Amino acid sequence: MVWSNTVLWSNKSRMLAVVAAAAVGLAAAGCSSGGSSGKVAASAKQTIVFAESGLGTEGQQTQVAISAFEKANPNIKVNVDVLSPNSTTYLSQLEQSFTAGASTPDVFESDVTYPAKFAQAGWLLSLNQFHPNMSQFFPHEVAAALFNGAPYAVPWFDNPEGLYYRTDLIKTPPTSPAQVVSDAEMAMKTDHSLKEGLAFEAAKYEGAITAFLTVDSAFGGKLDPANLDTPGNAAALAWLHDAIYVSHIAPTAVTGWQEGNVEAEFVAGHAAFSINYPFVESLATAPPVKGNVGYIPFPAGPGGTPGSALGGEMLAINAKTAHAAAAYKLISYLTSAPVETARAIVTGDPPSLPSAYTPALLAKAPYFANVKTLNSYSAPRPVTPNYLTVSADLQNLFSSVYASASTSAAAQALKSGAAAIAKAASATPGS
Amino acid sequence: MATDAPARERRTLPGRPPRGADSRAAADRRFGYLMVAPAVILLLAVTAYPLISNLWDSFHFDNLSYGSLPHKFVGGRNYTTMFSSGEWIAALARTLVFTAVTIVFDVVVGLGLALMMHRKFRGRAFLRASVLIPWAVPTVVSAMLWKTMFDPRAGFVDYFLGAIHPAWSSTTWLNASVWRSWVVIFVADSWKNIPFVAIILLAGLQIIPNEVYEAARIDGASPWQAFRRVTLPMLRPALVVALIFRTLQALLVFDVIYIMTGGGPGTSTETLSFLNYQTFIINTDFGYGGAISMMLVVIALVFSAGYVRFLRPQT
Repeated sequence: MVWSNTVLWSNKSRMLAVVAAAAVGLAAAGCSSGGSSGKVAASAKQTIVFAESGLGTEGQQTQVAISAFEKANPNIKVNVDVLSPNSTTYLSQLEQSFTAGASTPDVFESDVTYPAKFAQAGWLLSLNQFHPNMSQFFPHEVAAALFNGAPYAVPWFDNPEGLYYRTDLIKTPPTSPAQVVSDAEMAMKTDHSLKEGLAFEAAKYEGAITAFLTVDSAFGGKLDPANLDTPGNAAALAWLHDAIYVSHIAPTAVTGWQEGNVEAEFVAGHAAFSINYPFVESLATAPPVKGNVGYIPFPAGPGGTPGSALGGEMLAINAKTAHAAAAYKLISYLTSAPVETARAIVTGDPPSLPSAYTPALLAKAPYFANVKTLNSYSAPRPVTPNYLTVSADLQNLFSSVYASASTSAAAQALKSGAAAIAKAASATPGS
Repeated sequence: MATDAPARERRTLPGRPPRGADSRAAADRRFGYLMVAPAVILLLAVTAYPLISNLWDSFHFDNLSYGSLPHKFVGGRNYTTMFSSGEWIAALARTLVFTAVTIVFDVVVGLGLALMMHRKFRGRAFLRASVLIPWAVPTVVSAMLWKTMFDPRAGFVDYFLGAIHPAWSSTTWLNASVWRSWVVIFVADSWKNIPFVAIILLAGLQIIPNEVYEAARIDGASPWQAFRRVTLPMLRPALVVALIFRTLQALLVFDVIYIMTGGGPGTSTETLSFLNYQTFIINTDFGYGGAISMMLVVIALVFSAGYVRFLRPQT
């Protein structure tokens, strides 16, 4: 009975969810001194659970910061629960805990796209009661932390996606999208070791959306699911499409590339331009790219503004926690400027606070100056509780455009797909 | 045993069996039930319970993302939504076409392979063992292998195609073209599953007595007539097993597509199982996802019943 096992994987997942939730619940009972009955004051002796996905240096640096926090707050012990590094699995793990009504994790790491969804589901504690000073963070990331005007998460680090270019091949940074194309064509003519002029994420996954968002505002576009079919969005999508099929500065292989593939192409010296995240700067350690890396917002065309896509992580509190005060204390500590600066030096995670870009940080890693510039432009993805559904629809739309050689593919796809995406974004379940 | 049973039957026919024998048989039965009970309970726990729970969910609103909304009965709404969904209809059509193409190809090539392995030749044992290797490789691994082999930069496929320079060589196979994406999925799926069909059919071939072929030869049957009139009819039970297994696997195809194309370009390689994954895992909608699952179960049952009925040995 092969079918019965496979068809019903969903049910098993659900059973597993229940088992996992029970395990989390038991862990909560064991770990949380206060349990879920009543609220525990920040000054009381207590243990809180912090869930994160960080491995390697990120995980180690979190542990260093938490040890320092525990030393400064001897009444609070923090148990770190390292969940999956895979974002889809991480999201499922969190959802299972919250669905089961578990009071742990008390505080957790959240992608910039989660707060709206989690807040809508009633899983997040509104941070209004703590009066967080949100104005100290980069405003674009703050926008992703708000739901119905209230803060539900605090920006932890801020990863802006932008345009990399080879400074040895392109002497002055391009100032328009058209110049990106002409510079790429020129570089490909002069340096035959280049395999492409531009590398970007066009595979069917979340990165295709951030790559689009990086160029979108340069054409005057805005990624608003309620109003997707605009001349700006069409021009931005057409530019990426034409890079593959008209100017041929990007190979058709980009339709299978994720950020790792794009990074590999640029770091290996195969690409004159690439669209990617800040981490690539620290990896360009070998010729011909070593010392020849420029990182800028995507240059604006007529009627546009320089483009960058917001990525990053936030910290949020479980609505069912009994340790909200202690959890917020931990968030305040982890998002303080000195701790963010220390983390940036060790892990390369760009701080969410402009004030954390200190001369000491810039002296150790000068490229953070570029990152700070990009952070002032970075546009968030649509803030909607239905984001995952919207994201899947957008991925389908972009993927179908990148698979079509037709020059009108972008305009046609936006025309035919906009209504369905607007409906997905505003859908009320159960209605 | 075979000669013993009728004799015993004859002995016991005129009257009731001795009391002792009856209670011993009952005790044997009870012991038998006891021995299979753990397996039956386990099977019920992992098949019947989820199936019933899934059926229950499919008539309810149950979306994890909206934990604050009540888990309420919605009647057949999830099913009507599904039947009127262009997405579901398209995924159903893709799944049925994929199933039809792969099972025909797999059975034809698998049968050829089985007939070849059934003949006596040097190295037959080695060939039989090595044919099983693709089937023993987990699908996720084989899908990754084929994805790499079709990579336009690193894969061997374009390297060899480039050497003979057909006009369509050095192309991007995955996600840049609908039909090329399907070709790659089809190749990866068949590479893994043809050996399975071949081994089942080989087992079927081995139980056909040689005497039947000799009789056919004496009657003047050509090799083709012997294949059509002797091999195929006597292979029917093995064919039914191979067809049922392969059909069910093809109807549920997910992992090879998830790894290779993620359902793209656009939604052009999304099958019913992929849509099910999207509904359950991404949208966390257990009600609608339950309805999609139940329809998959119904489709699988219809296919299985059809095979059993139409390929039943003629009496």
